[in-house]
Amino acid sequence: MNRYQPFEWIAAARFMREGMAQTLLIVVGVALGVGVIVFMSALIAGLQSNIIRRTLNYVAPIEIVPPEQVARPQRSDEAGQVAATVQPRSQQLRSIDQWQKVRAQVDEVPGVIAATPVVSGPGFALRGDANKAVNVTGIEPDSYLRVIGLGDKVVAGRLVLGTADIVIGTELAKDLGAGVGDKLRLTTAIGAAETLTVVAIFDFGNKGVNERNVYIALRTAQNLLDLVGGVSSIQIKVGDPFAAELIAQDIESRTGLEADSWIKTNAQFFTAMAAQRLSNTLIRFFVGLTAALGIASVLVVSVVQKSKEIGILRAMGASRGQVLRLFLLQGAFMGLVGSLIGCGIGWLFLLAWRGVARNPDGTPIFIITVEPQLFLMAAVGATLVGTLAAVVPARRAARLDPAVAIRG
Amino acid sequence: MAEPHETLRLEGVRKSYNSGTPLETEVLHGIDLRLARGEFAALIGPSGSGKSTLLNVIGLLDPPNAGRLLIEGRDTGGLGDAELTRLRGRAIGFVFQYHYLLPAFTALENVMMPVLAARGRPDDEMRANAAELLDKVGLSRWRDKRTGELSGGQQQRVAVARALAMQPALVLADEPTGNLDTKSADGVFDVLRKVNQAGGTTFLIVTHDPRLAQRCDRIIELVDGKIVADRPNAAASPDPRTASWSP
Repeated sequence: MNRYQPFEWIAAARFMREGMAQTLLIVVGVALGVGVIVFMSALIAGLQSNIIRRTLNYVAPIEIVPPEQVARPQRSDEAGQVAATVQPRSQQLRSIDQWQKVRAQVDEVPGVIAATPVVSGPGFALRGDANKAVNVTGIEPDSYLRVIGLGDKVVAGRLVLGTADIVIGTELAKDLGAGVGDKLRLTTAIGAAETLTVVAIFDFGNKGVNERNVYIALRTAQNLLDLVGGVSSIQIKVGDPFAAELIAQDIESRTGLEADSWIKTNAQFFTAMAAQRLSNTLIRFFVGLTAALGIASVLVVSVVQKSKEIGILRAMGASRGQVLRLFLLQGAFMGLVGSLIGCGIGWLFLLAWRGVARNPDGTPIFIITVEPQLFLMAAVGATLVGTLAAVVPARRAARLDPAVAIRG
Repeated sequence: MAEPHETLRLEGVRKSYNSGTPLETEVLHGIDLRLARGEFAALIGPSGSGKSTLLNVIGLLDPPNAGRLLIEGRDTGGLGDAELTRLRGRAIGFVFQYHYLLPAFTALENVMMPVLAARGRPDDEMRANAAELLDKVGLSRWRDKRTGELSGGQQQRVAVARALAMQPALVLADEPTGNLDTKSADGVFDVLRKVNQAGGTTFLIVTHDPRLAQRCDRIIELVDGKIVADRPNAAASPDPRTASWSP
């Protein structure tokens, strides 16, 4: 008996030590629950960021585009009548008005990591007899690489983009028979053309993208697409991929321009993601519930078993409050210890997973980043659940009539 | 008004179970009883006469349905659960037929328990007092043993020491030697008697054993929930080994 420990804690510790088998049962139950929750959460979070990284790696989370051009019906002066048919007008390639200012505004928006101006439009890549339709994207390499991980996707050459250089995909390189250092001719719909040198070849792991996307310097694209000084969109990277839509709305309200998030433009994909997140939440909830019920039921049994001892304590002068706290403490303690062990188990699972789930070349199939918050939340959560689960048995114990408890 | 030297007073105490239902049974039919400070009284009676119920009522474990119950001159009627618990802890010590020790704790810790519950945290003083009490009941050597490792007589002596931990005015003993062989029973009884004589603690002892009853200063007999006899016992002797007992 340590002299600084309060009565409730001394008694709770003794009761737990005396019923060691029960105590261990609860602790193991909580530990497994927390382990599963930690492992599942890290796994699914890792899986999702991996899926996004691998499938949407060529898409910016948010893109600001110029407002759509609409045809305005003309009114007749006297009758106030409106033209019977209004044909939607075709959209020209236009620049975002005062894009430098917009870019500066976007940098201020919370959640935005980087923004980059882009000029894009259709074109043809010619080399010898080959003539391929491509999607020309003019980029400012420094800021663009912070938004799109193009640098990691380069499989040949170096990504140093001069005004007469071009970066193409593996499929296009194959179709044109072009390698690093070769020249090709890029023409656009307005008739402008430029001869460019291939400096790098990328592979986004997507055939369409590898075939169609070509990257050139912003200035060159502005000339080729007749958009001198302008940009056709601003692409933005955000910290939380799932918060893109909210941030996009924030940007719209600040700039008055149209900002499309990838959640809107890839709605199906993100619906599937949301379903996965929901199922993860459900699993966590039910595992937590199971652990809580486990704690509660073992504690209830323990109250029944210890009713005589509780009666003795009450007869010795222990108050209802003391008996209540004694049992709450047991729940909290077992929740805390169980969750700490559970965090360890989850961590070991993740380490094991990291060792097992590897590509043939030895690189991990996907990277799981474990946030310390996850462990903290699991530990705090399990302690709370343990305490809450102990409420019912603790109140039952506190209500025990000492005379009945001793007699019974 | 209760006199200051009066430890216990009961006036017309009634107790019934299942009250308010058709199964209502009255166990105590109007008990009047006074115990002066330092008395050493036996409560005898056949099984089912209400001895244990009376003890539970006096011990503030069961509230009476009617009548007044005063402990050291304080009327217990209308006290809340917390106040009853406090009064019970401070003024009354219990020794039961079965020792009711906490098996998770050592002998010394069991003796400390009432003081610990009252003060909230252990301190050296309560430890020293508990050790002294164990010494008084002759168990110094066993104080760090779990109670499960002690013999029946030793356990009961620990229970006596625990009953005295709060220096109560009144000790209620319900068949304190009922589970013990004659030799151990004598030992426990000796301890009770010694404490009574040394400190002026009042004792009320329920017993079936006429041999033990004869050693008390006063014998109260309960039959069917009524006190049918209450007499001083001149034959009582402080030392059981020299006591002469005749049926």
